[in-house]
Amino acid sequence: MRFTPQTGPNGTHSCRLSFRCAAAAAAVVAVLGGSPISAEPVRSDPETGAATYETQAHGVGLSLTQLLPDQVRAFYVARGFDLADADVFADACVYMTVLRNDTAPGELDFRLSEWSIHHDEEVRPLPPLDDWLAQWAARGVPDSARLAFRWAQFPSEQSYAPGEWNQGMLAMGLPPGSRFDLIARWTIADQTYEGRLDDVRCTD
Amino acid sequence: MFVAPIDRIRAGLSVLPALFLCFGTVGAVGTGGAADLPPLSHRLTLIEDPAPAPPLRLEDIDGVEHDLADLKGRLVLVNFWATWCPPCRREMPSMERLYQQFKERGLTVLAVAVGEDMDTVFAFTGQLDPAPTFPLLLDTDSRAAQDWGVKGLPTSFVIDPEGRVILRAVGGTEFDDAAAVEQLVPYLPKP
Repeated sequence: MRFTPQTGPNGTHSCRLSFRCAAAAAAVVAVLGGSPISAEPVRSDPETGAATYETQAHGVGLSLTQLLPDQVRAFYVARGFDLADADVFADACVYMTVLRNDTAPGELDFRLSEWSIHHDEEVRPLPPLDDWLAQWAARGVPDSARLAFRWAQFPSEQSYAPGEWNQGMLAMGLPPGSRFDLIARWTIADQTYEGRLDDVRCTD
Repeated sequence: MFVAPIDRIRAGLSVLPALFLCFGTVGAVGTGGAADLPPLSHRLTLIEDPAPAPPLRLEDIDGVEHDLADLKGRLVLVNFWATWCPPCRREMPSMERLYQQFKERGLTVLAVAVGEDMDTVFAFTGQLDPAPTFPLLLDTDSRAAQDWGVKGLPTSFVIDPEGRVILRAVGGTEFDDAAAVEQLVPYLPKP
């Protein structure tokens, strides 16, 4: 595991996590003397093999659990999508995403438009919800199905007081088989923080 | 006592297979198994400057209209949820237990199903233990959720007897946990 607490020139705090050197991260946390940053190992669902990636950064928990393409397809076909339309989303690397303000020193605010993905040496934004909704409208997806889609997604922006959280779907917009880093950003009292999940794999 | 017409039962049964599929997809698989489910919160968030609640007037799954404006004098928990939403499903039994504990002291619970129809919601209720006895309202076009500023499900608000939003809960919450109850009890109407 790589663990690099940082304070950049703009005052951003970040932590960097992968899961090869958990012991090293634990040692760094210990050296920092009770830093609120810790790491948890990834785990896999024994039935599906879907992996969960987790990090704790600055009192905020972030986790991604991949929803396999068949699962995503089944969910949206059951909500009124045609199979061809459901396929478009199912093949975009979809994760059940949880962000939670556990013990941050105040209410946090985030916008997904400020999160980014590192993939193939490129930094890219997450596909915006409005783009998905526009695509479904253009493809003639029924209103009720688009409504289900909108509410099943991880919120595009949100505020969490300590103890508050959400769980929702988040597509990375990458082809199955991709590997990427996700950088989540949030603010508390005008201070920006980062939580980072490195080398996340999207199983096809 | 809640008695369902037979045609509604039939309609509910017809959507059950799809519903179970959705729950399996987003619930158990999405979180990696029961032991790994994100914990429900045990506290509500205090609203520092309580403002009047937005209007809320919707029909329930029996076609009965409920208007929040008629509930002045009671403490009201308004919960925005959906049947496919795993934390919504997990928190709902705690809402029923809270309702049973305090309804005689002036607590009303209104659970607003966002973007779903009567048949889907009705089919869902039979899967809960305890099953909800409070009204299940239908916000089929999700306009109410948007008017209330809901960004993710579940989101709940507590309305005091004067009609002001005093507490909120974003994310699944164990509403009958002692810590949450301790926050709610002072706002129950005085006998």
